[in-house]
Amino acid sequence: MTEATEGSWFQRAVFYEVLVRGFFDSNNDGTGDIRGITERLDHIQWLGADCLWLLPFYQSPLRDGGYDISDFFQILPEYGDLADVVELVEECHRRDLRIIADLVMNHTSDAHPWFQESRLDRTNPKADWYVWSDEDTRYPDARIIFVDTERSNWSWDPVREQFYWHRFFSHQPDLNYDNPEVRQAMLDVVRFWLDVGLDGFRLDAVPYLYERDGTNGENLTETHDFLKQLRKEIDTSHPGTVMLAEANQWPADVVDYYGEGDECHMCFHFPLMPRMFMAVRREQRYPITEILAQTPEIPNGCQWGIFLRNHDELTLEMVTDDERDYMYNEYAKDPRMKRNVGISRRLAPLIDNNRAVSELLHALLFSLPGSPVLYYGDEIGMGDNIYLGDRDGVRTPMQWTPDRNAGFSKADFAQLYLPPLMDPVYGYQAVNVEAMQRDAGSFLHWMQRTLQVRRQHGDVLGLGSLEILSAENPSVLAFLRQLGDRLMLCVNNLSRFAQPVELQLARLSGKMPVELFGRVPFPAIGELPYLLTLSGHGFYWFELVDAPGGSQ
Amino acid sequence: MIDVPSLVPALSEWLPRQRWYSGQTEAASLAIIDQEIRGDQFPILIRLLVEADDYTYQVVVGVRGRDEHPEFLRGHDQAVIADISTQAGDAMAYDAVYDPELALVILDAVAPHEKAERARLMGAEQSNSSIVYDERLILKLFRRVQRGHNPEVEVTEALASQGFASVAEPLATQRVRDYDLAILQPFLAGASEGWSLALTSLRDLFGMNDTSSIPIISLDSPPPPLPDPGQAGGDFSGEAARLGAMTGGMHVALADAFGRHRTDSRVWAASIARQLDALEPGDYDRRGAKAILDQLADLDPGHAIRVHGDYHLGQVLRTDAGWFVLDFEGEPARPLEERRHPSSPLKDVAGMLRSFHYASAVARTERDEYALEDLAAAWEDRNRQAFLRGYMRAASPGNILPPDPECVDAVLAAFELEKAVYEVGYERAFRPEWVHIPLAALRRLTS
Repeated sequence: MTEATEGSWFQRAVFYEVLVRGFFDSNNDGTGDIRGITERLDHIQWLGADCLWLLPFYQSPLRDGGYDISDFFQILPEYGDLADVVELVEECHRRDLRIIADLVMNHTSDAHPWFQESRLDRTNPKADWYVWSDEDTRYPDARIIFVDTERSNWSWDPVREQFYWHRFFSHQPDLNYDNPEVRQAMLDVVRFWLDVGLDGFRLDAVPYLYERDGTNGENLTETHDFLKQLRKEIDTSHPGTVMLAEANQWPADVVDYYGEGDECHMCFHFPLMPRMFMAVRREQRYPITEILAQTPEIPNGCQWGIFLRNHDELTLEMVTDDERDYMYNEYAKDPRMKRNVGISRRLAPLIDNNRAVSELLHALLFSLPGSPVLYYGDEIGMGDNIYLGDRDGVRTPMQWTPDRNAGFSKADFAQLYLPPLMDPVYGYQAVNVEAMQRDAGSFLHWMQRTLQVRRQHGDVLGLGSLEILSAENPSVLAFLRQLGDRLMLCVNNLSRFAQPVELQLARLSGKMPVELFGRVPFPAIGELPYLLTLSGHGFYWFELVDAPGGSQ
Repeated sequence: MIDVPSLVPALSEWLPRQRWYSGQTEAASLAIIDQEIRGDQFPILIRLLVEADDYTYQVVVGVRGRDEHPEFLRGHDQAVIADISTQAGDAMAYDAVYDPELALVILDAVAPHEKAERARLMGAEQSNSSIVYDERLILKLFRRVQRGHNPEVEVTEALASQGFASVAEPLATQRVRDYDLAILQPFLAGASEGWSLALTSLRDLFGMNDTSSIPIISLDSPPPPLPDPGQAGGDFSGEAARLGAMTGGMHVALADAFGRHRTDSRVWAASIARQLDALEPGDYDRRGAKAILDQLADLDPGHAIRVHGDYHLGQVLRTDAGWFVLDFEGEPARPLEERRHPSSPLKDVAGMLRSFHYASAVARTERDEYALEDLAAAWEDRNRQAFLRGYMRAASPGNILPPDPECVDAVLAAFELEKAVYEVGYERAFRPEWVHIPLAALRRLTS
């Protein structure tokens, strides 16, 4: 990563992903809403997150969790209205929090008036806003993404008597970006929400905007050109906005979406997440260091988005043959991972509710290059309910208190959009914000304290370079973060057992590591290998300062 | 300015105390056959080739003022050769590999185009000393040298020129008279030995057996069954399979570089039979051993090729770019010609399989509070299978293995037997507390 001492807010920020439906129900109708988030901003602010990321809140028939938008300018009524969003945005800004929202550029719901108009006939004003064809054979190289439900990227529309193109579900027709009116319409959408005050977007499914014969329809030049145009527009009209791209691809390919620093500001680093889990499972660092070694530099002013849990997962067909073998052997074949591939598990159950592992994984998330993205509820170690099926298992109500409905809503239990967790380990009687705030030794307090420390060193952690250090002990992952003359040393024990490590730090002779949680000075670094011992799943964050009296 | 021959008496005392000295006692004769001096002010570097009895050694002597008391010698008394007098005053002669400043001079002598700022000694091996520069380069200085190409130089150069990517490509070598003295390679930063990874995996597996890590659903549930290594978080089989594939690739490249040779398995059988004679009665089942050797003598053993010769988990490194193989010197105690002699590639495979057994046995001894035999055996079996799967896939197209899979098993058994026999002898001589490991293997193989 290249150095820049200035940097932008998003390069230092901690993101907090909020499911509007599941966070807090302000009007007791059983469903979370925008006002509910506004009412609970205290929690997010106290925790130490810098930016909210809202999952889709637009008008939608909800056949794909709101990613099927039927009106870009309306709020889903059960979530509230535009005034509620304005209030939330203002309240965030009053607290120095930022807020971004999901935006789907590639397609709309088939219930969107644009599509309803477009399908009427071949000559109406919006006839060319979607991708229509008399044949269902064009673009044969474009893979089918949802192979479980879709048999073709083309579907027949009986009204217009033509096929329409869709990369995702058949109820999500792709917009035709070759049409300048469509591009203009989407720019209007972006501008509208930036005027409302959003600080940016997480752009869903960006690689697929255009279609071209003889290509697989991903990562086309035209798509990049449009992103450049979009970036230019918002840089001019709304400087300080962030575009966070979801391109579920290998890092070497994803970097294209940074352009020359003139496309997206941020992209998700997808493969890092499963590899962090594998490293702890295998008790060795190679799953992590390998993927970092394959991660290219990104342009100045850009940042990775990294996460432990999220509602997305790396799809194996995106990777090279070698990588697929590796992922298959080391990840998909692991019984636990296999059971949990996809989006049905939360962090805590995935790691057997092990507090030390959770702390270690978060310490990694907060210290590796990239802006960490937290998923609501993970700060209290919420569990999941795999019997709710696919995505709903990790979308249960936020557990605020041990009271009725987890303090999420005063509606009748039967009215809740999903039942809160009630099992003895993860249920809201055992796991909730109120109890964990009272308990100063809780994971929630640990996370809050750790984010405080991270904030104090946000420059180095957000903008600094990364160097993995050699260690003969394969269970230890040690790395340096450096920004100018500021240096941090992070040492992580991936094993459940205590481990020693000798680090070759002679070139830093004369520096003294100061542990960041207690500001405890450690012995100065000399010419000899620097010996550290770590408890099982333990970690250290050190700042390296000049030892008193200079070099020893 | 320095009278080099005057060092001879001190060297004849100092040399036998070094780990890489091969003679039994103090040398009866000692002669300096080559010398080169670098520098005219302290510190000065003197490179010597010294003949002591039947062996030749490379000695790098550092010379500094007697009152300097350099920090790098603290705790390394065995590195001090002697106090000497020079024209520049009273001085001290010592093994220069410990001197970070002279290590840079040594680097300059081997590879004048390479610049480095820092050097550290990585620990001395039986036959060489390795110095790491800037965590980027590693210089292996051969201490006991022999006429003709050092196998390390010869094999790494050949493998690299075959395009075999899992070896650190030589960047420079130093050859004086007829001796290879040093080889410079890229340092594999961030690497760990296969041995540490295997033990990490085993400790994790044995940890699954701890009662504290087993959730209790109901207090009257039956006790949980033994953990399955395939279910363990620290499963090593993916690594073992990739290690096998790398090994197969290495053998194909070795065969391409040094040729495939016809061979007679009866010679191998006879040689192993001779080695068996050195064992004590009761160490193994004679009839079982004879059956293995008879079978070996009786089959098509595939081709003989140049092999690694001393292949085990300590000779392979896991890096961010996969497995790498190190150290092609073979067993340094044996004569050069013998080390270069073609053998079955399955000899290396047997070495690695024996290493899996050692790892499982050592990890089991670490925590003898549990009855872990079955679990250790399950780990060994799983990783043997994975290694062989990866190996066969990569080596089969190289046309070096016996065509019949049953012959592969038979040859493998014979070389595992040979390796275990060697191990018993070694452990009895140096680590008697470990002799139960190869003895168990011998009994398992021959029963």
